[in-house]
Amino acid sequence: MSPQLTLQTPLELPPSDVPAYLEQLWGQDQPSTGNAGAHTFCLLIWQPAWTEQQLIRTGRLSGPITGVQRQELIAAAREAVIEVDLPLSTPPLSAAVADALAGLAGDTKAEDLRGQHVDASVSSLRPRRLITLAPTLDATQELETLVAAYCPLPEEGGGTAACGDVVVLRGGHDALRRGLGILQPLLPEDLPSWVWWNGNLDEAPDLLRQLAIGPRRLIIDSALGDPLACLDLLAARIDARLAVNDLNWLRLRSWRETLAMVFDPPHRRDALSHVVQLDLDVEGEHPVQGLLLAAWIADRLGWHLNGSQRNEDHGISAEFQRPDGVAVQMRIAPVPMGAPSIHPGQIVGLRLISKPESAPAMCVILCAESGGCMRLEAGGMASMELLEEVVPVQNQPVEADVARLLEGGHDTTNPLLAATAPLAAKLLS
Amino acid sequence: MSATITNPLRVGLRQERVIAPQCLIIFGASGDLTHRKLVPALFELFQQRRLPSEFALLGCARRPWSDEEFRQKMAEAMGAKVSDNRMAWDQFSAGMFYEPVDLQQPEDLVKLGHRLQEIDRLRATRSNRTFYLSVSPKFYGSGCRALADAGLLKDPDRSRVVIEKPFGRDYSSAQALNKVVQACGQEKQIFRIDHYLGKETVQNIMVLRFANTIFEPIWNRNYISSVQITAAETVGVEERAGYYETSGALRDMVQNHLTQMLAITAMETPGRFDPEAIRSEKAKVLQAARLADEQEPWNCCIRGQYGPGGSQAAPLAGYRQEPGVDPNSTTETYVAMKLFIDNWRWQGVPFYVRTGKRLPKRLSEVVLTFREAPVHLFDAAGGSPTANQLILRIQPDEGAEFRFDVKSPGSGMRSRPVEMEFSYDESFGEPSDEGYVRLLADAMLGDPTLFTRSDEVEAAWRLYTPLLELIEDSPWQLPIHPYESRTWGPAASDALLARDGLLWRRP
Repeated sequence: MSPQLTLQTPLELPPSDVPAYLEQLWGQDQPSTGNAGAHTFCLLIWQPAWTEQQLIRTGRLSGPITGVQRQELIAAAREAVIEVDLPLSTPPLSAAVADALAGLAGDTKAEDLRGQHVDASVSSLRPRRLITLAPTLDATQELETLVAAYCPLPEEGGGTAACGDVVVLRGGHDALRRGLGILQPLLPEDLPSWVWWNGNLDEAPDLLRQLAIGPRRLIIDSALGDPLACLDLLAARIDARLAVNDLNWLRLRSWRETLAMVFDPPHRRDALSHVVQLDLDVEGEHPVQGLLLAAWIADRLGWHLNGSQRNEDHGISAEFQRPDGVAVQMRIAPVPMGAPSIHPGQIVGLRLISKPESAPAMCVILCAESGGCMRLEAGGMASMELLEEVVPVQNQPVEADVARLLEGGHDTTNPLLAATAPLAAKLLS
Repeated sequence: MSATITNPLRVGLRQERVIAPQCLIIFGASGDLTHRKLVPALFELFQQRRLPSEFALLGCARRPWSDEEFRQKMAEAMGAKVSDNRMAWDQFSAGMFYEPVDLQQPEDLVKLGHRLQEIDRLRATRSNRTFYLSVSPKFYGSGCRALADAGLLKDPDRSRVVIEKPFGRDYSSAQALNKVVQACGQEKQIFRIDHYLGKETVQNIMVLRFANTIFEPIWNRNYISSVQITAAETVGVEERAGYYETSGALRDMVQNHLTQMLAITAMETPGRFDPEAIRSEKAKVLQAARLADEQEPWNCCIRGQYGPGGSQAAPLAGYRQEPGVDPNSTTETYVAMKLFIDNWRWQGVPFYVRTGKRLPKRLSEVVLTFREAPVHLFDAAGGSPTANQLILRIQPDEGAEFRFDVKSPGSGMRSRPVEMEFSYDESFGEPSDEGYVRLLADAMLGDPTLFTRSDEVEAAWRLYTPLLELIEDSPWQLPIHPYESRTWGPAASDALLARDGLLWRRP
């Protein structure tokens, strides 16, 4: 499904007039007229789209700026990786690409439609209010506020469309910070509010802190930003009992599901009590997804962390202790990829070796369908029972992942993530 | 399914949608269904942490119980489920309340409204209400009307009504009831329950068909020669004689459960996994279904009634000897019939449907028999070649098996059938939820996918109208064939298939 644009041209208003304007707009809510505002949720989005802005500015991508992860954007970013001499394994939408492009000349302008493109997967959930914070490359740009009401196209079979509105705050970092004052009245207390930080977690910590105050529910992507900062943020939020959802954790679901599936047949379950080794291969040098998966397994199997260390190859080793006292060796190894995923640090392979006392050893290898896992398949497993599964790659656009979270209506942190993230942070610290 | 050690990696992986703060109101709270199915299902949801902390259960019936009496009676009836989980029950039952209500008394409804407001304040249930009518079917219409008149169904986004089976006694009464309930609220507020749709294995028919590319291309008249749908019970009428005497197997099982299995087996592929899309396809296929001989239904339907049976040591009473049953009763405890579906996919493929009490095994299954190979190149070890069969086992031993021919080992080229088997127990090793667990959760989530829509219910009744009219007007044309308890029904039922050169599958 392609994104829907707002049906009217957004109205530019002085920031101070926005709350009153919207109040007036919905103040005449009359359900009988079919014009009712949706009684659903509000979504506040930090939408920097730095790579897209830089690609457009340097003439490598045509506008408008949308903030949506479209195919042309990803293709242009992959080409830019080569042009600016970054390693081929650099994820195309990473900060490294935007930073490298920032050093290049160019002044191409394009219309900025961030916030006005509503992805269909999100609009079908009928958000009451979408507020987009759109930082500009020009850090000195003054604040502009745009407002538009919109009604999603009615679903097949008719029915009354419940409408919502779109608010865009656009400007330089300081201008945006000054504009935050209008947000509070724009987020009705009787509706749940979500904050989706669609950028690096360490790029504007002051804004993140101000936006993600409780009881707003935060959505982050722990694959973006300094790994330790990402995990610390997750752990701190969980510790403070503030709802947090991680798209990087969500993308792990096919790994969790496939590994659980291997041990669904009851006769294999005993092997889980006798694991001696866990190896994970991750794309590039962002280990957070690998750490989250390792910590999830450790938590579910009741392992205690003895210690961990960073290796020279940027990998991470750790030793756990099983409930019966036996040591489990864990290793996360970075592997370079020729065509890396847009999400940094995706897992590409998992090997789990179990050595029960009274049964043959078992080796489980899970391999991402995007590549091989020869490294994990090598090395002395001939005498073991070998179980191999291919894990489907999550190719969903990030908006679909967010929609899935919003649709679920989960107003607390996923309990598995809550148990996992603090342990993952410990593995790295 | 057998109990096994839980897979620790499976815990918490299911990302269930979260039920909004909610008050579930059960009318008929002193009845059987409440303590046998509904409260256990809610307690299960609570233990699975799928109920929000802002949840309340309000039991309503005419008996003058207090909140505490209601809690105690439910705890007693649930026995070990409560005593083994005392702490969880104490937490759960803190949200259980009781209000004496007679749905026919408007002043009781006013009182109920006040009680619900009080519960909203106490449990922060935010006026989200699911009313469950577990009352006598004759009160479904008046119950809905009473709720509507009291203004309790006013908000279509916050209030819904769940209606138990049977929904009507025939096509015209179902139509009339639909008119009444639809006048009380919007269709999206009405949840007509059929607990068979809550079964994992019934839902799995959809996944099997629409998530795999290998089945759908052959799921039609070109490859399938016949379909059998069976729901067999070993038990007799037990304590339900009063109800059963007025319903019989046709109304009790066929019109709802078996017809739902038929609809899911035969429906077209929905455009998307969406409640309305799925229910539209089910309604369409039921509208295309008909008795194999509508003019002379006795040619395509067999009715039976169980007689005495069992052994000398454990004799079993016949239906007419059961307490509460008329000694001259002509109520059927067994029905077998042949149906056709007049559409491009199924034209000419017979669907044989049977259900009965006091049969040798308790089981429900759907059996799809494929056409024979056009040329038999090999001798069959068993004498004659066997057709491929796909058997979807709904209960017990939930799973599926596929029968096909392979080479019999040894010299020569003789074929023999083998089975390829999928068992929920072996693959997942964990019991699936009771149907009511799933359906109650879905109703509170406002997801109607597994509930029957008005047009589905009406289409299902219309399908059997010629039979119901015949039974009403000239029952001698559809006689009751006696069968011995714990046998596979009357011989006439076997003859129904024998006319087409087929046999019922003996599971």
